[in-house]
Amino acid sequence: MTKKPIHLTVNGQEYDTFVSENATLLILLREELGLTGTKEGCGAGECGACTVIFNGKPVNSCMVLALECEGARIRTIEGEYANGELSDLQKAFLEHNAFQCGFCTPGMIMSARALLEANPHPSRKEIKDAMEGNLCRCTGYESIVCAIESVGVSKS
Amino acid sequence: MPAYLQPKTLDEAFEYLAREGETRIFAGGTDLIVLMRDGVIRPHALVDVKALPELQGIEIDNNKLVIGAAATCGDLIASSCVSDSCLLLKQAALTLANSLLRNRATLVGNLCNASPGADMAPAALVLQGVLTAVSPEGAREIALKDFFVGVKKHVLKANEIVTKISFPVNKGRGIYLKKRRIRGHDLAQVGVAGFHDEDGIFRLALGAVAITPLLLDDFGCLSASDLALEKADIAKEAVEAAKPISDVRASSDYRLAMVKLFTERIVDALAMGREVEQ
Ligand code: FES
Ligand code: FES
Repeated sequence: MTKKPIHLTVNGQEYDTFVSENATLLILLREELGLTGTKEGCGAGECGACTVIFNGKPVNSCMVLALECEGARIRTIEGEYANGELSDLQKAFLEHNAFQCGFCTPGMIMSARALLEANPHPSRKEIKDAMEGNLCRCTGYESIVCAIESVGVSKS
Repeated sequence: MPAYLQPKTLDEAFEYLAREGETRIFAGGTDLIVLMRDGVIRPHALVDVKALPELQGIEIDNNKLVIGAAATCGDLIASSCVSDSCLLLKQAALTLANSLLRNRATLVGNLCNASPGADMAPAALVLQGVLTAVSPEGAREIALKDFFVGVKKHVLKANEIVTKISFPVNKGRGIYLKKRRIRGHDLAQVGVAGFHDEDGIFRLALGAVAITPLLLDDFGCLSASDLALEKADIAKEAVEAAKPISDVRASSDYRLAMVKLFTERIVDALAMGREVEQ
């Protein structure tokens, strides 16, 4: 199977690699770049486990072809932890017990990150609207909304 | 495995479309990627038209709202041109899937997919959308009401690419109501859009209740009080036009009941100048 070259930036680091033409961004991240923090739940744009930030906007990485990302800037959950410290959202998810199995968490955090960048102090309604593409099968959404809300409030 | 092609010009895109084998025009990809993943379609090539200059932008031109085929539903929601001129489109876009998918899915792609339940179709129909399709032979305009011909079927030729859709700017008021089982995650069981334009003309469009989205535009000119008086007749006409099937999402009877209820709610709200909860 011939692969095509691709150049992109993930979490500030530049990558040059090769991908098959039908690979999604999700496959590129996990299988070519070894960034397995981004999860595959449904692979069909329904669960949000694969959420990453693509040129500033949150998207389902299973719904983007890898080759669409030539020159793109991607941010994934791996970019949250920096300088030996968890990010504000990661800490808030811990404090609020906002995960159990943790499978949805990378996607939840990337959607929340995009929301907080666009709207640093979202209301609970705005949080729920922005997170409607992210499903959690075990925690229940209340603690997730509280975690995101707490970061918004602490920024004020 | 399909070849992924990214033309830089329309001519290059036409050349790709003319190649041997099944070629698909690729925009947001939110339908095609799922269909390919499930093996429902196995195209030889995907022609990604998103970067073509002719498909860009959202603007008001000559009293028309013009939306490029590369504009996503997210772009449309964020656009002040859309909010100021065709608020109903924004309202409909907000019901399409969820914010993650809206950052990829395009308005024109949603229409060209020609699903009977396409979320953007009822609103685009009552707002009198007109598509511009180009091919090596030239450009033509296609009124959206003449566009859909069957389930996932439209009138485009294999060598045509839709570059934009335009809507006459109209100060009227519209409402879109969508019935679905799970917010953010379900296709429409029923979608109904109504628009009462600045000249008093009332139009209604129905989604997910026939093989194509339906436009009912023979109600003529009605004052707000006439509209309220005509409510029962309008709802009756809507129910008669709908030919829904029963499927995993809803029974035919349920869909008919929702067409009636939504039509009545929309007519009431437009006649009284009230809002309705989605
Ligand atoms: S894995 Fe992408 S949305 Fe579920
Ligand atoms: S923590 Fe298990 S799916 Fe959300």
